[in-house]
Amino acid sequence: MRFRTQLSHVPTFSKLTASLSSLGKVCWMRLEDGVVRFTIIPDQGTQVWAQLPVEAIFEESTYILESNSGVINLEVPVGALHRALRSAVTATTSQLRLTKKGNVPLLALTVHTSSWTAGSNAIGITAGTEEPGPESGGSGPRERETVITQEIPVKVLHETAVEGLHEPRCRDPDVHIILPSLFQLKSISERFTKLAADARASAGSSNVAASAAASPKLELSANMHGSLRLGIVTDALSISSIWTDLVNPPLDPGQLSAAEIEQLPSERMRGFDPADDAGWAKVRIDGKDWGRVLSVGRLSPKVVACFVHETALILYVYLPGSWNGEDSCLTYYINSYAA
Amino acid sequence: MTSLSFSLAPEALVRLHNALICLSKFSHYASIEAEYDLLRLSALNLAKTAYAGFALDADEFFQTYIFGVNHSSNVSTRPRADKFSCQIDVKTLLSVFKGRASGRDKDTAVERCEVELREDIDETECRLVIRMICGLGVIRSYKLTYEPTTVQHATFDRSSTTNQWCIEPRFLKEITDHFSLSAEQLDIFSAHEKAIFTSYTTKITDGKEILKQPVHTSVAIEKQDFEHFIVEDNLHVVIHLKDFKAVIAHAETAGVMITARYTNPCRPLQFAYDFGGVKTEFTLMTTGESDASDISSSSRAAVPQLSARQTPAPVNVSQSNNAPNTRQMPPPRSRSVRPLTGNSARGTAEVSTQSQRPPASINLDSLFVPADDDRQWDVPNEDERDETEDMLGWDATTDQETFSASMGPRLRDIEPSMPLQEEQAIDQEEATGIPPTQRMSQVSRLPLHDDPAGRTTSTNTNDTRGPFNRQSNPTKPALHIPPSIDIRTAIAMLSPPKRNHSLVVNDGQHMFTSSSQLTRLWKTPWRKLAAVIATPRHDRRVPSMYINTMPTSE
Repeated sequence: MRFRTQLSHVPTFSKLTASLSSLGKVCWMRLEDGVVRFTIIPDQGTQVWAQLPVEAIFEESTYILESNSGVINLEVPVGALHRALRSAVTATTSQLRLTKKGNVPLLALTVHTSSWTAGSNAIGITAGTEEPGPESGGSGPRERETVITQEIPVKVLHETAVEGLHEPRCRDPDVHIILPSLFQLKSISERFTKLAADARASAGSSNVAASAAASPKLELSANMHGSLRLGIVTDALSISSIWTDLVNPPLDPGQLSAAEIEQLPSERMRGFDPADDAGWAKVRIDGKDWGRVLSVGRLSPKVVACFVHETALILYVYLPGSWNGEDSCLTYYINSYAA
Repeated sequence: MTSLSFSLAPEALVRLHNALICLSKFSHYASIEAEYDLLRLSALNLAKTAYAGFALDADEFFQTYIFGVNHSSNVSTRPRADKFSCQIDVKTLLSVFKGRASGRDKDTAVERCEVELREDIDETECRLVIRMICGLGVIRSYKLTYEPTTVQHATFDRSSTTNQWCIEPRFLKEITDHFSLSAEQLDIFSAHEKAIFTSYTTKITDGKEILKQPVHTSVAIEKQDFEHFIVEDNLHVVIHLKDFKAVIAHAETAGVMITARYTNPCRPLQFAYDFGGVKTEFTLMTTGESDASDISSSSRAAVPQLSARQTPAPVNVSQSNNAPNTRQMPPPRSRSVRPLTGNSARGTAEVSTQSQRPPASINLDSLFVPADDDRQWDVPNEDERDETEDMLGWDATTDQETFSASMGPRLRDIEPSMPLQEEQAIDQEEATGIPPTQRMSQVSRLPLHDDPAGRTTSTNTNDTRGPFNRQSNPTKPALHIPPSIDIRTAIAMLSPPKRNHSLVVNDGQHMFTSSSQLTRLWKTPWRKLAAVIATPRHDRRVPSMYINTMPTSE
């Protein structure tokens, strides 16, 4: 079993691991020929199934994968991986490989960075900034190289351990819509969540224990006419924000015939009048969990949200530069809470 | 009664604040010591593995600095009259000095800070009074309570260090930036023209917990990055990352080169740098694999060991010799006897003067009171020697002795040295001239039982007390030999008081017990000692843990 590669898009990889680590501590990393998958299945909350082409984060020409089954499954502490990758952001080269020390398998990240120093440690250095200089001379500016090795303990999973895991399946969505700026959505969501939590806390003594147990639930709904509504209702308040003129992306006619498309629930929903409540598909989601999901916004992706009325919300998160590449997609499965 | 007052310019206030921030990372309490020519702030962590000291020069750091002692006052309240020491909660100090100099509000920015000590035996309130003289006539006053205390310093003999490097702190900062936040240990070694810093955490994890194992991070930088780098290759020393970070964070604010000195694993390592009237030193205990170092140390056997390993020396340590004895007691083990080294009662300055002394010289003027030799009769325990490797030796720089510390096996590798100086020998004649090798129980003529009250007075270390002790001793019948001879008693016997070095354990026990227990400890019988012994035994596991999990990254 061998895995070794140079990293090519460290910032992307780093941001990806950052957003994954907000949802779970441990991630299933599946290395295949040409494809890397990251999966997080927490005990409770949102599942992520991320699939990336190798070249999205690795240098394809250096990607070496050897295994009996052609696949390596690793269990990776994603927080530690993210932390380690921060060292690589400014790297000249960085290499990731699977190795072991004693009996502990490791993902070893070796990073070479170089920087310019103002002089050869001249006495009386005061400035903390490094001044890049084109020439390195005797006592002049010179290049200094630093080698950083991060060893992340991992667990190698046997194929049988993961064969039972598959992506959740769900009926066809009622509404699919491209979300507005995740940053905006996130800050409004967090504000609502906080308001509701505060209102609940101050509301008082009647049912403190019960109300404290569950964090506020946001109501997210959308229709096929480009509108998205984010709201929250508690005993004390009811607020909502509505976005309009969003895009309901058309489905790929290459995959479905016109007749099949006609049958889809989303087409039925499109038939309703924009003002008609029946045209809205609604889900209730946990405020805090939603905030963690939206942390994927740091990758500045395009996000298509698929609403399955009162059942689930599925987010397809496409990384920039791979807008049409279907194989580079993070899929978030979020369950809807009952009212 | 002590009088102390000084004033600070705004720039000095900033430095003081930075120093306090640094101290707060080591301990909740900052010790303040005033001497004629300097004010020293220091902190020692709870585990006594890390010590931070800032010596502020009286002329250079302060605008004005006045320190005086009235000798005529009741000496017994202060064991040592030529200095004042107390400790104060760091957080309190930080809140007083916090951001005062930065001056958000320009008009009322601090223009000067005056500090005055109000100590009067007759008054119930002793206070440290801090006045911030601000713009527009605003004056902020603070009165802080303080706790008079014995200050302990880590001792470090720079002359005997074999490894040394010097570097800009920002390079070290860059290194620590790569480390995981949860990392606890830092391993430093060099190989192949690189200096390698590895952070890791010793955590016992079984197979299922593999994923929770902390990340090992190693950062290799070129030796070129150092101002100088004189270190034995592949010599691993391990320190606490938290301490390391605290040091470089402060060194960065000072913007000066930082120098590290050390010998071997399990010996102290010292970071030091000086700037603008401030001398800093951070003495950190290291761990690591000492096997290799044992070999190397035997190959350079002449190198005296770090003084910090030595017996917490008694009084007047500042003048103590650092290499003592022509004749040494036959050690119970084959291990070579380490010279008793003086310690840096005077802090940084003292360390440097000591380091200039030829280590092997005999200082006849030494006031050093040798450790009692009775310990060598203890059952030799080879294992204990290792334990000692994990503790710093401490020096209570005031007159209080710290013999209770020397009792502990943690200092076992310090062989007791006998007084060789003539004066002391003469003194000892009165103590019957019994060869120091004699067993305590055989010394029938000696008053082995010293009454606590007399002892307390002798602690006060003036000239009159010593004779009192000597006179009183022979009057006691041999019958007074108590079954519970305690070592402290023995000390008094074998090395009688000379001048003002007190032979008596007083507040020395601070090191291991609270002061409230002092009186009880006077009579500490042997079994109590056993309890003392137990402590290091617990520590002993630490190094083996480190060793087992030493990074062996390829």
